[in-house]
Parts: sequence; structure tokens; C-alpha cells
Amino acid sequence: MSRLDRWFEGMTRQSARRVSRRNWLSRFGGVLIGGAALPLLPVARAAEKHTVGEDGVKGREGDPTRCEYWRHCAIDGFLCSCCGGSHTACPPGTEMSPVTWIGTCRNPADGKDYIISYNDCCGKTFCGRCMCNRNEGERPLYHWYRNNDINWCGGAKSQSYSCSTAIVVKVAEEAQPEK
Amino acid sequence: MRLLLAIMGVLLVAQPVGADAFEEHDYILNCSGCHRMDGSGSRAVPSLLAMPELNGKPGAREYWIQVPGAAQAPLSDARLAALMNWLVERFTEKRPKPEYTAQEVGQLRRNPLRDPIAKRNELRQAPYRRR
Repeated sequence: MSRLDRWFEGMTRQSARRVSRRNWLSRFGGVLIGGAALPLLPVARAAEKHTVGEDGVKGREGDPTRCEYWRHCAIDGFLCSCCGGSHTACPPGTEMSPVTWIGTCRNPADGKDYIISYNDCCGKTFCGRCMCNRNEGERPLYHWYRNNDINWCGGAKSQSYSCSTAIVVKVAEEAQPEK
Repeated sequence: MRLLLAIMGVLLVAQPVGADAFEEHDYILNCSGCHRMDGSGSRAVPSLLAMPELNGKPGAREYWIQVPGAAQAPLSDARLAALMNWLVERFTEKRPKPEYTAQEVGQLRRNPLRDPIAKRNELRQAPYRRR
């Protein structure tokens, strides 16, 4: 133990003799600012593309609480990630509807189209936060096979709609027509 | 060299199988929303797992194309025919014989059912075709 003490004492005295306080402050400041600036470098941005999301889909996660998030391209409803759940899980106290509106969205990270299932969470009153109504690929009510304005909670125990998830099913063979 | 050529040959032959297979994609995008991924359906939507019950009965083959979900799906006749060949095989474990063609599917979907549920009940009670 005394050896470690002696080594540490030596190091401290040495640095006190050699390094001025201002020098230390400027270096420490450099490390702080440099560390914060590192993610702005193109190298760090390129590495982000290879991150893998919670459901195994590659690409920058982005912000699932925002309507602009890539998986929300065909959504119509409140984002569950703002309502106590996530973009793949329902908030506590709600049930995921087994029937669902399905569309495709392009993932900007790999340029591929993915089939997205917008399962609704049912059983509580509507969440009211983060309304997102992008509806890409949706068609008017008279084209009912491509319309998402029906209550998908019809398949769940409770019919009251709370919020919507955006779950990746798999890679799409082609983008949804008529975008 | 010969091995390399052989591998390339295998890859060339294997490639189109994956590239043209839209059946599962079309199922997920056009059917699974209501019939669910496993075909089990829900309270309002019939289960595809009950398809073997009708298989082999006269009229079932036509009925499966005339139901609203198939007839009105936003797919071309050729894509719907391929999808239904795949779907019937998946849920009845027998490929339709003869297979659906784009022409047959096109004629059937232009002749929609007035009452799909009544038609299904009628088919259920009908005897199986004698062989």
C-alpha cells in the first residue's frame, strides 16, 4: 500500500512542478470541448448508420417521439412513445389490438422500404399527446382497403383508442404503391 | 475455377426465386392487417385456419376469389392469382389444382358476392365433392 502512496505522491509532486494551473485549465477545457465536438465529425456520423435499433433494424434511431421519425410515414394517431409506451410497446393498462393498419416506409439509414404495422393500443381514453397524421399511401374512405380511418381497436377487448405504435414487420419487396 | 463457376451457376439459378416472390409481401400488406399474420382472424374477420373445412367442396375455389378481401384487394389479376395459390397452399396444405391463373381470377373478381356470409354458410353445409 505504501508503494502506491509513494508512487501517487511522486506523480502529484511532479505534475505540480511541471504543469502550471493555467496550462492544466486550458488542457482540461480542450478535452471538454473536443469531446463534445467529436460526434459532429463525419467519422462519428458514418458510424451511427451501423447502430441497430431495439427491434434489430439498422439505422439511426432518430426520435420516435417525433412525427418526422421515418417509421411514422403512414401513421394516423397519437404516438405511444409520448403516452407512456414506446413505438413498439403499449402504455401500461392498454392492450395492443390484434388487427392493424399496415403500410411501408423508407428507412433513410439503409434506403430500404420496410413494412410497418401501426398496431393501436386500446383500453384507455385517447392519449392526446403527439398527434401525428402523415398517412402516406392512404386513400379516401371509398377506397377502403387503403384507408386507415376505421377504429382498429375493433379487434381488441376494449374499443376505446389510446395511441398507435409503429412496429417493423420485415423488409418490403416493393414500396407501397401510389405514395 | 470449375468450383467457382459451379458456385456462380448455383447463385444465378437461386436468385430469381427470392426476387419475384411477392406472395408473402402481398399477404402482409393486404390480408394480415385483419386476418392477422397467422391467419387466425378476429371477432369481425373470419379465420383462414378454417379454410380446410371448405377445401374440396364445389364452389369453394370460386368463393375464395369472390370474397371482398380478395376480389377488392388493390392487386393485379396476376399478383392476386399468385397470392391465392400461395395462400390456399399455406392454409390448406394443398396447392390449388389446377392453379389459379390471372384470367380465371380476373373473371371471378368481376362477379362479386352479394352476401359473402350467406355464401360461406351455404358452402359449409354442402357435401364434399365425390371423387
